[in-house]
Order: sequence, then structure tokens, then C-alpha cells
Amino acid sequence: MALNLAKRRKREDEDDIPMAPMIDCVFLLLIFFMVSAVMKVPPPFTVTLPDSATKHEFTRKKFNLFINSDGRISIDDQEMLTLEDMELFIAAHENQITTLIIKADKRAKHGDVIDVVERAKMRSSKTEGLEIAFAVSEED
Amino acid sequence: MQQVGEAKLSLLATKIRERKPPTLSMAPMIDCVFLLLIFFMVSTTFSPIPGLRVQLPPPGKPSPDKPKGLTVRIANPEPGEDRGTMVLNDAVVQVDEMFNQFINAPDEATNMLIIQSEREVLHEQIVQVMDIAKQAGIDKIGFAIVARD
Repeated sequence: MALNLAKRRKREDEDDIPMAPMIDCVFLLLIFFMVSAVMKVPPPFTVTLPDSATKHEFTRKKFNLFINSDGRISIDDQEMLTLEDMELFIAAHENQITTLIIKADKRAKHGDVIDVVERAKMRSSKTEGLEIAFAVSEED
Repeated sequence: MQQVGEAKLSLLATKIRERKPPTLSMAPMIDCVFLLLIFFMVSTTFSPIPGLRVQLPPPGKPSPDKPKGLTVRIANPEPGEDRGTMVLNDAVVQVDEMFNQFINAPDEATNMLIIQSEREVLHEQIVQVMDIAKQAGIDKIGFAIVARD
């Protein structure tokens, strides 16, 4: 009787789900998601993007430039108080910015937007220039 | 007496150690890892950002010769209004006519669209014009600016 119980217990131990491979997989997934994660960073003000029927798709990256209707500028959650600040910021992160995505509010003034575009273009030392895109609303 | 007691105690300790080798407890670590995994899975966004590409001339001095292509001029909107008047090749044009104008323009003109716009024009209107141009097959869109010293 006692022997039987011991045997059964032993078999139960052997039937346990093997944990090691599962943990390996989980770690792999974790590392993948950690590396590929690009956090959505909201700007310090609200921005309503304009609508457009044609749209090109750009991969989500760090360093999005936001412009609101009052002409306030921010790169991710860092507000840029002057255009010079923005220029310096872009220059400092030049290697990390291949496409500058400008998320301008639909009621932003064209003058403010073009100032930013012009500054960003001037700053870029790349021969072909910085690729610039205007973000549009995601809804169809 | 005390020494004997200590020796006994240490013997006991080794016995216990032998019987139960220290093991790393995996369960809490796995819990943490799962939590992190779920957090990163939920917060990761793979969806691309929709946008319109702006073609810009390479940095440096603008070329002196007049660029070929269509030119749309947009005036500041009147106070209280959202859109400014648009002028395409010296004629006032409405938004809904614009597509046909672009389509019917001579071929050599349709490789580029230049938008000359005043500062107060809303970004929405610019994007709308860009959108219509892209629909009409004009890929290069540039902005005219005033040279500043």
C-alpha cells in the first residue's frame, strides 16, 4: 500500500509539465517585445491631425514633432520653447532621425509648420536632405 | 561542554544542508517575467503612422531658374473663415475643381506642384491640396518660401 503510494507520487512528478522550455520561450518573447517596443509619447498639448484620402505609411519611430494650433512645438513630450531649441535638438539626434514626422494640428498655421520644416531641413547635413512627412489622421 | 555542543550543532547543520541542497525558486521569477511580457505586448504598437511625404529640394541655395510645374497660391483666410482663396495659374480655383484642373494640366507641368501659401493659412487646407495633388498623380510637392537673411 505504502509502496503503491510512493510509486504513484513518483509518476506524478515525472508527469509534471517541463518548465524550462516554456521559460526559454517566454524570455525570448520578452526580449523581442522589449527591443521592438516604441512607446507612444503624448505631447504636452492635444493635436488633431488633418484628414487625407491618400496616405503613405511610415514606421512608428521615436522623435515625432508635434505642432498645435497656437504654434507650440514639441518633440515627443519635450516642449521646444524656441525654434533654435528645436534646431539644436534635431542636430543632437540627427543620427536617430531618418524621417521627421510632423504631426501638426489641422488648425495649425502654415507659417509655423513651414518654419519648422525649413529649420529641420537646414540643420540636416545629409546630402539628400531629411525626409519630412506630414502625419494625417488614422481614420478613413 | 560548550565545544562539544558546538560541534554537534555544526554537524547538524551540515546534515541539514546535505539533505536539502539550496534551490533557486523559479516561480516568482517566472511571475515577474510574465508580467513584463504582458506589459510589453500590450504597450507595443506595430501600426504604422499614416502620412504624406513632403519632397524638398536639397539644402543649399535655391536654383535661380524658375521651376517648372503647377503653382497654387493660397491667401490668408478672411477673419472668421477657415479657408483662404486659392489661385492656380492666375485663376481662382475651388477645392472641388482642383482635381480636374490638375488632371487636365499639360504633362510637363504635372511633375511638380509648388504651394505658395501665406502664413495664416490653416494646415488642414494645405494637407487637402496635397491630398488632391497626390490623387491626381503629382508626387513632388514643394513649398515656396521667402528667402530670409
